[in-house]
Amino acid sequence: MGKTLFEKIWDAHIVIEKENSPSLIYIDRHLVHEVTSPQAFDGLRMNNRSVRRPDLTIATMDHNVPTNNRTLPILDQTSAVQIQTLEKNCKDFGIQLFDINSPNQGIVHVIGPQLGITLPGSTIVCGDSHTSTHGAFGALAFGIGTSEVEHVLASQTLWLEKPKPFEIRIEGKRKNPHAVTAKDIILSIIKNIGTSGGNGTVIEYKGEGISDLSMEQRMTICNMSIEAGARAGLIAPDEKTFEYLRGREYTPKNYESLVDYWRDNLKTDSDAKFEKNYTLHVDNIAPQVSWGTNPGMTCDVTESVPFPEDFSKGDQNQKKGAEKALEYMALNPGTPITEIKIDRVFIGSCTNARLEDLIEASKVVKGKKLSPHVRAMVVPGSQMVKKQAEELGLDKIFTDANFEWREAGCSMCLGMNPDILSPGERCASTSNRNFEGRQGTGGRTHLVSPVMAAAAAIEGHFVDVREMDLN
Amino acid sequence: MKGNVIKYERDNIDTDVIIPGQYLKVHDYAELALHAMEGLDPDFHSKVKEGDFILSGRNFGCGSSREHAPIALSHSGIKAVLALSFARIFYRNAVDGAFLLPIEIEEDAYSNISEGDELDIDIRINEIKNLTKNKTYKMKPFSEIIGKIIEAGGLFKYKPD
Repeated sequence: MGKTLFEKIWDAHIVIEKENSPSLIYIDRHLVHEVTSPQAFDGLRMNNRSVRRPDLTIATMDHNVPTNNRTLPILDQTSAVQIQTLEKNCKDFGIQLFDINSPNQGIVHVIGPQLGITLPGSTIVCGDSHTSTHGAFGALAFGIGTSEVEHVLASQTLWLEKPKPFEIRIEGKRKNPHAVTAKDIILSIIKNIGTSGGNGTVIEYKGEGISDLSMEQRMTICNMSIEAGARAGLIAPDEKTFEYLRGREYTPKNYESLVDYWRDNLKTDSDAKFEKNYTLHVDNIAPQVSWGTNPGMTCDVTESVPFPEDFSKGDQNQKKGAEKALEYMALNPGTPITEIKIDRVFIGSCTNARLEDLIEASKVVKGKKLSPHVRAMVVPGSQMVKKQAEELGLDKIFTDANFEWREAGCSMCLGMNPDILSPGERCASTSNRNFEGRQGTGGRTHLVSPVMAAAAAIEGHFVDVREMDLN
Repeated sequence: MKGNVIKYERDNIDTDVIIPGQYLKVHDYAELALHAMEGLDPDFHSKVKEGDFILSGRNFGCGSSREHAPIALSHSGIKAVLALSFARIFYRNAVDGAFLLPIEIEEDAYSNISEGDELDIDIRINEIKNLTKNKTYKMKPFSEIIGKIIEAGGLFKYKPD
């Protein structure tokens, strides 16, 4: 029987495998950031261990860095300490660090691909659940906790249980690909399979709807695999993948011979078996807006906030969850999504803060002004994205419309730096999680695509971007 | 292992409500514990006792990879979380650091066990006794792999056979 792409990558990285025992898997790349690493480095010191492969380990600071003027000292003392700790740890253990002043600084899942560090067929880990992003390049990439970070630092390996392969086919063609985006595809999938639909699996995304997407759009899809509960998301590399990585700063010297190998080997065999299958037809899908407090609580922009009994389809826990979510979100069932007024807009995060995202959002904003009662922030995913956007004049388009144009970082996606919502504020956000309090205590998050967020910023409420000219 | 139950009758309890992002800068575990479950239940800290269990629905611990989540619960005194299912990273974090036991239960236990019930959990025979209601439920056994890491006392103590 043939093998899936996931099984091929897994098998190529086995150090030890025995029945009914964890498998010891080799890790090709380890990405490190300031929040989930300090205790891991402390553990190394306590046990007199070194970092086994500092050359395969790369660090940056993204989670708690301020996104305003970087020539000023960091006001939040605990953040400052966490950042200095990472600097010291990288220095002590010989790890390359893109620090707060580096032109390569940015969200770890944005800079990995951008620098050519993320490679097809490799295993990549990071102490961050959105590591699944790198799967867009045909890498097996997943988030780990701090104990596992320490284990990888010490040994360049991990004891793992083998996940099951899950095939998601995306079929058909979107009628308006500028208005109905990769974000809408992945939110539709999570809405349909649920936030635990992918538990214990590695999802491989396939089909016309995937090959049509650019690399940056594919990253948006793989990024949110974790919101469906999957360990990782994966897309077989193709010519778009190879072209994207060609000639980047850290792309290997023997790149073309690697491409030949990847082209022949990194695909699922036609007779391979998946444990689960799901197909989404994208011909008629609408822009998506989340209304609740997990990413599965999402509907079309043309719909209304659902009644808990309709949403739950008879499941008591789902019904209670929906009631609690509506209470937290201060929404009444039956309210059309387009009548929901917003206070804040956040265009950023490892899901949607790449150059294409900013270009698409800027088309909506160009020549218009922010709705007077809305505050909007654009936080590029990396300093490199910021620079490229500025070369295209996007910063001017946003600032002319009264949006804030900021420095790179995770920012308001997770509320660790000063970019947070005030209690009760309602935000159209291009990030990945609408959990209670995620963007600040009492803050209310609606997950949308960059074009949907930009349009909401201009109008002051959600609008169906299919009705706008986005070409 | 005996303890009393704190019950959250809902699915998808995420890591952001278990320990909100603003506390990920806190390195003192005792201080972290003061903010456990703060996003969902501000009274948690005042009601939790050493040895207690949390009981909840499906997909417990979904979201972020923050190990601060099982650490905050563990340092609050929680010895086990009983849930219909778990998100994978939380599950592994709980086991890797030997912070607490993530125990998968069936619908009968979930619906029958009430807030405050005293349980006696024996993972060697996969049994949960409800001492308050005088009932016994089966827990889903740990996979051999996870069982071995738990038995060893965490990831760093695990050695292959």
